[in-house]
Amino acid sequence: MADLVPSRIEVRDLTLTYGHDTVLDALNLPIPRGKVTVLAGPNGCGKSTLLRAIRRLHTGQKGQIFLDNVDIASLGAKDLARQIGLLAQNPSAPPDMTVEELVRLGRYPHQAMLQPWSEKDGVAVNRAMDGTGVTGLKTRRIGSLSGGQLQRAWIAMVLAQETDVICLDEPVNHLDMAHQLDCLDLVSKLNQEDGRTIVLVLHDLNLAARYADQLVFVHEGRVRALGQPEELMKPELLAEVFEVDAAIMTDPVHGRPICIPRGRARAAVQELA
Amino acid sequence: MSTLAVSAPAGRRFGIGAIVLIIVGLFVLLTLAAVGFGSTWIPLETVANVILGGGEKTEKLVVWQLRMPRVMAAAIAGAAIAFSGYLLQRITRNELASPGVLGVVDGAALGVVLFLAIFSNESNALTVSVAWQPLAAAIGALTAISLVFILSGRQSSSAIRLLLFGIAIAAVAKALTTVFMLVGPVYQAAQAARWLAGAVNAISWSEIQIMAICLVPTVLVAAWLAKDLPPADLDDVSSRSIGLNLPVYRIAVFFVAAVLTSIAVAFVGGVGFLGLIAPHLARLLVGRSRFAGILTSCLLGAMMLIGADLLVRVVFTPLEVPAGTVTAIVGAPYFLFLLMRKDKTNG
Repeated sequence: MADLVPSRIEVRDLTLTYGHDTVLDALNLPIPRGKVTVLAGPNGCGKSTLLRAIRRLHTGQKGQIFLDNVDIASLGAKDLARQIGLLAQNPSAPPDMTVEELVRLGRYPHQAMLQPWSEKDGVAVNRAMDGTGVTGLKTRRIGSLSGGQLQRAWIAMVLAQETDVICLDEPVNHLDMAHQLDCLDLVSKLNQEDGRTIVLVLHDLNLAARYADQLVFVHEGRVRALGQPEELMKPELLAEVFEVDAAIMTDPVHGRPICIPRGRARAAVQELA
Repeated sequence: MSTLAVSAPAGRRFGIGAIVLIIVGLFVLLTLAAVGFGSTWIPLETVANVILGGGEKTEKLVVWQLRMPRVMAAAIAGAAIAFSGYLLQRITRNELASPGVLGVVDGAALGVVLFLAIFSNESNALTVSVAWQPLAAAIGALTAISLVFILSGRQSSSAIRLLLFGIAIAAVAKALTTVFMLVGPVYQAAQAARWLAGAVNAISWSEIQIMAICLVPTVLVAAWLAKDLPPADLDDVSSRSIGLNLPVYRIAVFFVAAVLTSIAVAFVGGVGFLGLIAPHLARLLVGRSRFAGILTSCLLGAMMLIGADLLVRVVFTPLEVPAGTVTAIVGAPYFLFLLMRKDKTNG
């Protein structure tokens, strides 16, 4: 399946160490063009680190990342920011910044010394705000927004960047169920309507299985498995990667696999005892 | 709906423009008044006339040679320190940041004290011209900020760590300054104390020229750096993901801010708290707008130092009380007020 669609991003032998801890260990990963790839794994497995590494945000990372066969190490900071957008896990901005100001910052990589602010930038900002439904909030200050509004404002900032690849690090973490769906439906719309390549880190395995075209299990700094959700949502694999004993069923609404954990996996329980 | 959305920011901009204009007006008035005031009062219109090229010979002499230098020095130094404070408060996203916490002011003080100690002979007289004192102050200031960066090493990418290193270096410099003042001769202690408090009374046109020549390239670099301040408002990961290398950029801004303050304090001494209050007030008045914020900060900083110097002339004449004491007496309570308010709002 992955061979039919040429990879947008190809991660090769990516290694990252913090002191004596190896966070990513010679990791290889293809990210297919125009698909939604979801990185999942237990806490501390390196999935968020991997996402930031794809955007070349770690100093001292070894290995190569190819974007359309070009090593991103050869791209300038703004060049790269025009191609890959990333929403951080806990982004922060001054509370008295307005929503519009924030979204306009997404145009920063498109601006240069002699070409400050163009009509094109304005169009991109308005489109990003329309797409995320924050146009009505544009004069509001960041500090006065609710969690869901804030998240949409940040997504609008990333959209204004107009990158073909969008990475989102746990975008639904602090949101209630309705806003989680809003957010992921928006992401999935960007993928389906604009054909953008999306890379998500998600904690919730059932949401991951529902939205992913390609699901990736990251475990101990390596890719343990990748494929369609149906291929990965297997009891043995979940026991190994997530240390849970789970039953897998098919979601009657979307036809996607869902897991229902019974408890900690037996191997893990024995280990603890 | 759409008209509202379009007119709201325009209205805000008009408001900011009016505020900036009012501050410019106040600045001009205060400058004229500061020049006019002295042992004899020169009316404001006469001062303005002389500045524009008119006036009699004696008026010219009093305005240009006697009064103008200290007002000019206060204006330039106050503006430079305020600009430095604006950059620091913005880049650290902390309204309590100021040039003083970078160790720059205390480093400059140590430079001055060492200069006085090294170049004094047995009879307490300086063996070289006192005109070299600003250079000693600048070397002290730049050494302090360099030490902050060298010692913090890789931690210098974190704003809060950099500030902590600055506070530590400042404490060391302050302690050494005290030691040298205590063990040094009396003349030296008095001279050093004058510098520490900050005074603009003894400054000459040639010193102002040197100060301006040093400041012009620094201000240009600072203005060029300031264009990237908006993306630097975000957290490290977000700003880097839109293409600004924030850790590197932050170091550049810290360094330029330190140089701005170094140049100013080298000539006028350790004027305290200007760099904290001026940008803070500017932000209250004109909000986040960058250009208006920098302009207002500089004007307010200039006005504060001119005003402080005017005040010591009015209140303490014929005693020469350093202007820095006024900025400290007014500034310290303001700082406490900020601290207490911040505590309240952050719960």
